[in-house]
Amino acid sequence: MNLERVVFGFVIILALTFTFAFVMGDIDNASHHNVWMLTIAILINLIATGLKLGDRSQVGALLLASSLVVDVLLIAARVVWVVAENETVSGPGPESLANIVSLAGGALIASLVTVVIVVGDTLISRR
Amino acid sequence: MVVLRYMRGPIFALIIVYAIGITGMALIPGLDADGKPAHMSLFHAFYFFTYTATTTGFGEIPTEFTDAQRLWAIVCIYMGVIAWLYAIGSIFRLVQNPHFLLALNEHRFARSVRRIQQPFFIVCGFGDTGSLLARGLSDHWLRGVIIDTNPERIKALGLRDYHVDMPGLCADPAVPKHLIDAGVRMPNCQALVILTIDEEINSRIATMTRLLNPDLHILCRSSSKRHTKHLNSLGNITIINPFEIFAQLLGMAITAPRLHNLNACLVRNPEAKLGEPIQVPPGDWVICGYGRMGRWMYRYFGQHGINPVIIDPEAKNVEGAARIINQHANRDSLLAAGIERAAGVVAGTDSDHVNLSILMSVKALKPDAFTIVRQNSHENQIAFDAANANLVMQSSLTTARRVLKHLISPQVQMFIDYLRDEGEDICAQAVDRLRSLIGDKPPHLWQVVLCEADASAVIERLQQGRKLSLGELRRDPHDLAGSLPCMPLSIARGGEHIMLPTDSELLQPGDELLFCGTEPGERMLSASMNNAYTLNYLITGVDEPRGYFFRWLDQRGRDLPLSN
Repeated sequence: MNLERVVFGFVIILALTFTFAFVMGDIDNASHHNVWMLTIAILINLIATGLKLGDRSQVGALLLASSLVVDVLLIAARVVWVVAENETVSGPGPESLANIVSLAGGALIASLVTVVIVVGDTLISRR
Repeated sequence: MVVLRYMRGPIFALIIVYAIGITGMALIPGLDADGKPAHMSLFHAFYFFTYTATTTGFGEIPTEFTDAQRLWAIVCIYMGVIAWLYAIGSIFRLVQNPHFLLALNEHRFARSVRRIQQPFFIVCGFGDTGSLLARGLSDHWLRGVIIDTNPERIKALGLRDYHVDMPGLCADPAVPKHLIDAGVRMPNCQALVILTIDEEINSRIATMTRLLNPDLHILCRSSSKRHTKHLNSLGNITIINPFEIFAQLLGMAITAPRLHNLNACLVRNPEAKLGEPIQVPPGDWVICGYGRMGRWMYRYFGQHGINPVIIDPEAKNVEGAARIINQHANRDSLLAAGIERAAGVVAGTDSDHVNLSILMSVKALKPDAFTIVRQNSHENQIAFDAANANLVMQSSLTTARRVLKHLISPQVQMFIDYLRDEGEDICAQAVDRLRSLIGDKPPHLWQVVLCEADASAVIERLQQGRKLSLGELRRDPHDLAGSLPCMPLSIARGGEHIMLPTDSELLQPGDELLFCGTEPGERMLSASMNNAYTLNYLITGVDEPRGYFFRWLDQRGRDLPLSN
């Protein structure tokens, strides 16, 4: 067992599940989406990106790239939330919310790619 | 450019016809939508003429025509359609012109050769041998550029499913321009292989190539004394004489059957099984046919103390022969040669039909005789398979295998020669080791050069001044106690060759390693040589942390031992 693999696997799967938890629900219903979930997902994913810095292997480069994509999309979603926060009493209006959730949905796909790469790489190396 | 020059006439005709038609249409008075007199605008006239001349015919646009306009429209239609037919006919004639097609093909071929970045080989002649060689090159992911004079052969080349792209040109390879198009002067051209049937042409191609590129290695098939002498004077040339090679192989089969078996497996002879050598019996031999093959066989038999009986209508005064029977080889002459007592028979005439019938007579007269047969044409493969001779000498196959061995790495033949000098015991050990690594799978040969492009992790490690041994490199990343199915046969370092290197051999940058193993083994080894983490794991057995954070953590853990 390799400590780096355990920690990295934990972090990226956690990031994936938090993103999923945020995306779940009707796309334009503010009560289905908690901004805290989004913020935590961003934080965890930033940690995952940090952990991959310095890996010179091909797989490492691919993992870094996909987790950067997740960062960009999630942060974009959070920025839209900040801008649209005061549209209604309970948060962003339906149109802005739809934008936010679809951005987070894109991040979910990229997160999924990261997890698939990690699982595939671990299975191939069979150590 | 040649297209434009050829199309000059039709283009002029079109321009003139368009000018006349459009001007006329614009000058002839018509009526507008309200019935007032009006002229067609130049743009409308061009629009009308365009769809009329190309026979599209949208009708009378923008308003209905007057009779005067309709009269001119008739003129426009005939004039325009004829001009277009003329233009299109010219294009078709140009496209069907064989010289134009030839020029186009040459241009395309030269362009695709210029674009090749990887090392490649030029093959002149795509007959039986050339096509066998191209298949072998493709199996080893090596690139070839092919020239042949026969258009049918080049068409056949287009239908082959090679792993790598092999551009082909239908042209005379003895013409310098075509050789340059094929890349004789390109720095990544590794060698030129000459395999046409005509010895005269082969020698001409070799001379031309030597003049165009004094350093290029040439491999040339030649079995005539006169041409061989001339070719040898060119320098840096390897002459492939299939008859001599086969006779050498036969000599090897007599004195060193294990090595003969190993060699047959290395060249991927499907009939050979590693570790099961063929035994050529000594005793009385009969050679049918004393031509190019017969002579060489006779010479090598003589070197091993065998004096065969020769059956050939034209053989005269052969020194040392047990007996010469000046007859065609058939049942009677075989009986006269004493076939009942013979240990083996060589059917070596230049006719496949005769050779097969000799085999059948031998099978009837002495079923347990060892038979060696010469196969001249690749097309008769099935018949020879059915005849079931002990050894088949097919000139094209022998040549292609020998050339391929050279192209994979010149070290292959050196290794075989080394084993021949060392004797059968060393060879048997090598075969046992190889079998323990690859089992019953067909052996696959490849060469690796320790350079930045092919072994980046190894070079990085060596440049840091750290050592790397062959045994560490060969470890299996899935099981550190085991090793990959690849056996190092030799290492070329500087001008020296280290044969059968041991696992403790330390590697150096620039080493050329010849391996024998399996194709998955080659891929695994290449992955180990190019991934610094894998290589490190192979040596230390520890998966090192990769990211900055974990490396920092690891370093701290070492600085502050937990026992404190």
